[in-house]
Amino acid sequence: MAIGEQQTQEDEDSGSEFEPNVGWRHTLSKIKDDTTARFGLYVIAIVGTVAMVTTIDANLSTITFGRVENFTLAESVWYHPERHPDPGTTERRMPPFFVEGGSLEHPLGTDRNGRDYISRLVYGTRVSFFVGIVATGLGMIGGTIVGAVSGYYGGWVDDVLMRAVETLYAIPPLVLVIVFTVFVSGGDPDIIYAVFGVGIAFIPVFARLIRSRVLSVREMDYVEAARATGVKDRDILRRHVIPNSFAPVLVLATLQIGVTILIVAGLSFLGYGAQPPTPDWGEMLRISHQYMHSNPWMSIWPGLAILITIMGFNLFGDGLQDALDPRIK
Amino acid sequence: MGLLRYTLNRFLQAIPVMFGIAVITFLLVNSMPGNPVDVMLAEQDASPELIQAIEERYGLDEPLHIQFLNYIGFSWFLAQIGFPGFADAPPGLLQGDLGLSMYYERPVSDLMLTRLPPTLLLMMSAFAFALVTAIPLGVLAATRRNQPADHVSRIVALIGVSTPSFWIGIMLIILFSVQLGWLPSGRLVYPWRDPSHYGYGSTLELYYQTVRHLILPMIALGTLQMATIMRVERSSMIESLQKEYVKLARAYGVSERKILRKHAFRPSQLPVVTLVGLNLTSAIGGAVLIEMVFSINGMGRLLIQSIQTHDYQLVLGTTVVIGFVFVIGVIITDIAYAYIDPRVSYGEGS
Repeated sequence: MAIGEQQTQEDEDSGSEFEPNVGWRHTLSKIKDDTTARFGLYVIAIVGTVAMVTTIDANLSTITFGRVENFTLAESVWYHPERHPDPGTTERRMPPFFVEGGSLEHPLGTDRNGRDYISRLVYGTRVSFFVGIVATGLGMIGGTIVGAVSGYYGGWVDDVLMRAVETLYAIPPLVLVIVFTVFVSGGDPDIIYAVFGVGIAFIPVFARLIRSRVLSVREMDYVEAARATGVKDRDILRRHVIPNSFAPVLVLATLQIGVTILIVAGLSFLGYGAQPPTPDWGEMLRISHQYMHSNPWMSIWPGLAILITIMGFNLFGDGLQDALDPRIK
Repeated sequence: MGLLRYTLNRFLQAIPVMFGIAVITFLLVNSMPGNPVDVMLAEQDASPELIQAIEERYGLDEPLHIQFLNYIGFSWFLAQIGFPGFADAPPGLLQGDLGLSMYYERPVSDLMLTRLPPTLLLMMSAFAFALVTAIPLGVLAATRRNQPADHVSRIVALIGVSTPSFWIGIMLIILFSVQLGWLPSGRLVYPWRDPSHYGYGSTLELYYQTVRHLILPMIALGTLQMATIMRVERSSMIESLQKEYVKLARAYGVSERKILRKHAFRPSQLPVVTLVGLNLTSAIGGAVLIEMVFSINGMGRLLIQSIQTHDYQLVLGTTVVIGFVFVIGVIITDIAYAYIDPRVSYGEGS
């Protein structure tokens, strides 16, 4: 290829259809073209809508009736997951409808307290979805601050912060979260401690990533210019350094939501996450684990729900990564 | 600057991290309001004398910072040089002493010696399973890019990273032990025990049973690792297949098979080695869950049991040892990396 040809080629590319190489419009259009990423986004949207509706329902009924047992939507559809049915009204541990002994009244059967399984599954979405997002968000914020400060200032600040981050990284997240939840809660674990625990456990992952980005952004001309005109360090960090280092952090956060959901499900499975009677997938697996022989179906559904939710976030995260980083394909 | 010196350096660098692990876990465990003895004796109507005696035995009558110095074993050094006030300080972490378990009434380090090997056996077999399956699949996917084999392997990888390991474990038990009855659903048979302990006639039968008992937990724990390793193997193989020297070899007419084996495969393994090191933390976390599902008496189950029995010293001990296992694992992978890749500079001597 001659040099002249290449020149015109490039001119055409940057001519009529010019789009900035970075920027949200470009990223979004790339995701639109990516079937798998789009599919991931749909899954997230569906799961998110379910989580939102069930949360509103649960809170609204608590506000209007002042009692946890009253749930408007669920009451009209199925047994509410948080309501214990009257003894004798429903059969305990009923199998799903396609197995002998099941009925369409409870399509996926009932749990050991006679509560409808499918409505517990639906309401279980709340915990996984919101804990996944909030806990990852906390880790992202904490990690961004630590990593940006560490990378920007360098020197002994960097040394101290990075040693601390390495230490935190050395304790496996699940172990850290278990110990944090049990001991900080004073022996009375609750999902809110798990949120903070996961947030702390994820600081290292984000801090390391953003630090490596900040190290290169710090040397950019515009940062130099801002410093020369006397802008305060804190403002440089907030206005220039962090926004320009943020794209890969967002990708990591999306992928990390899946990891959070895995950890929280594991935590609930061990009995230190969501506490009964709150419906939660990990908690449901903890109970169903005892009935592996008599009713294996109970173990299948919550796991599938976790799998689908995490897959949505992973597909979207991968698509986002491809869109933001042209080198990887 | 040799490999030996590099190894030594890595261990020296790990010291502050190990110290930090001890600090963090000590603070976390002591963040619980009240005193372990109160919790332990909560139901019983213990006399104040008894409580005091127990507190003295476990060194809980000291202020917190002294307890910490005792725990890491710094007080012991002070006692050796005759520092006033530390006359009868017990040995601690630095001396390899992790204290006394209140529940088992045995030294924590003794418990570690019996509980660490099963966990290591489980983790190593899971990684072996992951590497043995993921590397060929990753290479296959890279060489048949955007063909059916590639799509299948990507779907497997996606499902692998999205599935909770303990759920895979439950599903495997339901399928292979409850429904089909092919494999045992729990507990391990330790190959280092005497065959007669389990009632087996020969060592060969012992090994056979060990493998049989290991298969399901190994797959459950290894699936996530397999998926992540496969992804990295694929992209790293694709990258090396596009390298200049591969193109050159092709131009010289070197066979595709030889290119794969000689030119592309070896450099592609470096990211995999790094990944194995980084994945150790998720593997240890997964091991806790898998040990609970399969009733394996390893470190993870010990941690959960110690939390349930409020055995503070044991919680502290297991968490610290798990952290140390990770740090040592990372050092080993770093050394393996340096060994494989001759380009790695061993850093400056300082």
